[in-house]
Amino acid sequence: MTALLTLAVLATLLGGTLFAVALDRAYLPLLALFTRQRVETEAPDRLNRDLAPAWYLALAAIGIAVVPFAPDLALIDSPVGIVIWGSCEALIVLTVFLHGWSPNAPFPLIGAYRYAAIGLPVMLPSMFVLIAAALPAESLSLVAIVDSQREVWNVIRQPLGLPLFMVVALAMTLRGPMDYADAADIATGTSAEDSGAGRAVWQIARLAMLVSVSAIAATVFLGGPLGPVLPGPVWLWLKTGALMALTVWIGNRVARTTPSRMLTILWVVLLPLSFLHLLISGLIAL
Amino acid sequence: MQTVIVILGWTALAVLLARAMQPVADSTAPQAMPFLGGGTPDTHAWQRYHFRPYSMALLFVAFEMEMMFMYPWAVVFVSEGIKALAEMGMFLAILSVGILYGWREGIFRWQ
Amino acid sequence: MAMTRLARWAARSPAPVFAAIGPGRQAETERLLARPGLRRAATPRDAAILLVAGDLPGDTAEALSHVHDQLPHPRATLRWQADAPDAIAARIETAWRDICAGERDEDDHLPDEPPNAWKGIGPHGQGGKGMMGGTPYGRPMAMTGTDIRDGLRLDRYTARFGPFLPMLPPGLVLQVTLQGDVICDLDVQAPPLAQAADADAPDLCAARMLRLLGLDRAAHRVMHGQSARALWLRGAVPKRIGRIDGTSARDRLIAWLAGDTVSVAPPDLPALLHGAEWAEAMLILASLPPSALIRAARGVEAA
Repeated sequence: MTALLTLAVLATLLGGTLFAVALDRAYLPLLALFTRQRVETEAPDRLNRDLAPAWYLALAAIGIAVVPFAPDLALIDSPVGIVIWGSCEALIVLTVFLHGWSPNAPFPLIGAYRYAAIGLPVMLPSMFVLIAAALPAESLSLVAIVDSQREVWNVIRQPLGLPLFMVVALAMTLRGPMDYADAADIATGTSAEDSGAGRAVWQIARLAMLVSVSAIAATVFLGGPLGPVLPGPVWLWLKTGALMALTVWIGNRVARTTPSRMLTILWVVLLPLSFLHLLISGLIAL
Repeated sequence: MQTVIVILGWTALAVLLARAMQPVADSTAPQAMPFLGGGTPDTHAWQRYHFRPYSMALLFVAFEMEMMFMYPWAVVFVSEGIKALAEMGMFLAILSVGILYGWREGIFRWQ
Repeated sequence: MAMTRLARWAARSPAPVFAAIGPGRQAETERLLARPGLRRAATPRDAAILLVAGDLPGDTAEALSHVHDQLPHPRATLRWQADAPDAIAARIETAWRDICAGERDEDDHLPDEPPNAWKGIGPHGQGGKGMMGGTPYGRPMAMTGTDIRDGLRLDRYTARFGPFLPMLPPGLVLQVTLQGDVICDLDVQAPPLAQAADADAPDLCAARMLRLLGLDRAAHRVMHGQSARALWLRGAVPKRIGRIDGTSARDRLIAWLAGDTVSVAPPDLPALLHGAEWAEAMLILASLPPSALIRAARGVEAA
């Protein structure tokens, strides 16, 4: 069973990443990068430069391992699944920071610190919505959270949850309005000095993370593998795919404001909204 | 145990994959120079960087600690009932005063 | 030479181009890069082809060499003089195919020497005057200074930005001292290159701002005469920034999106950008029509 689940996780991550590349229409440009030279920057931090994409990829794989593929069936069936995903989110901030720090160049460095400033407060709404989802389940396990949605999905019971989590998804996958690491005003920021295969691997890791975040969102808000007729994994894949497409669509459509303004919005608007969300979810759960 | 094995396994796999896909980088001195649109820097980019939202980061630590209490709280919430909701409400209200104070002091404005 | 399968696929992808734009060629080049077979690279690290549009003045030659040498191998430089846009697009696509086939490459223009001699004490040459006085790897380390906002003494990073930075108008060279990402000191070292009136076209001006707002697709649509179809467009530009003659950066974006040409009096550039955050400063610059920027920068130089 474990071997089967391991294969399922790998296949989901791989297939999902290929789907994400298609959503971004990036197949040929990504392939072309593998034919290009990988440029060395001036006195870089080589170890962190090479490992940052690896950590990003690893966090995507660990994140998707806590997702139940059928009711009662997850590769990491932990009683604290939400905490494991939460630590993945926190480590993404670190990973993106290291990616921007390592080339020893001004634009990546600015992108790295900017992302740290935005990434930290994004953690807060994220954990509030996940904890709100844990209230009716009376457990921090994602299997229990799926189980608690047998009658009604959290997206209906906790209407603010999914919209708030989409903001987190955009920030975790460096996309559109929350892409403060790789913004255009700093010549694609943390990626500004990436070339060739190094650039491609970072982009692939970023797309793999899109699969992981969407799978978590599908599990927490859309009932994960629950659904009629079709088997559990198929429902999970369909819901994950739909959320990936939605994230890409929002990323292409919504404008990005300046970082200091976004910081105020995160603390003054989004955080009180997630308090409100917790209150509503708590009252309904009682 | 399985949790630890899976996490270590995925990490090792990702490191191997990323290493295999990324060739060793190599450059001449003019190619290695940081990109500034043709301009030149006076110094290395690594610096004691002025991280503007440092006071925001302190407020963040307060909320992270609060998050630690919320994990066990979420599990017993339904059995404890309205009492648990009121207690967490009070806790959050106290922390929210911190946000309002910080906002007034301009700590979210890159000061 | 037989191409590998990977190289054949690569050749079918849009050609990644980094443009160095000369006098009078801004509008033409921006429209060229919006064509389907080409991809506008934000940094030379992501490009294979350096497109030099028009006659660059002699004092930009060294900067052009820097940008040229930063492109990864294999690479090619194309000079665009009198060709029609169709002809130059075809030349770029041919060059990209040759690059993918490994039939074309260029050597560095500049000598392979570190920017400064290594000196100093310690395993990385970092020591000198105290901890930081050396030049490790041929460059000194940043030194501290008092910040303009909160007075903390942290490092000041000084560099010359431009003349071929994609978010700055072509030709503009700014010597900027940053503390974190706030502009503490600013000196205009070269004004933007002269551009014809077509660089002020509303769709091009709007597209420049949209790209800074992370809306590449919307920028593309606007340049092809369609509506931007983006959410939170106005709200994303802070209300207070870039105020000149009673119009703000946000007002000008709205006017451009409505298809109106905007004219503003040349502002005092150093005063406008001093103390701004980098993201705001780039938005302010993009919110000024090129004609106003050129006059503003020339005024600073003459003074």
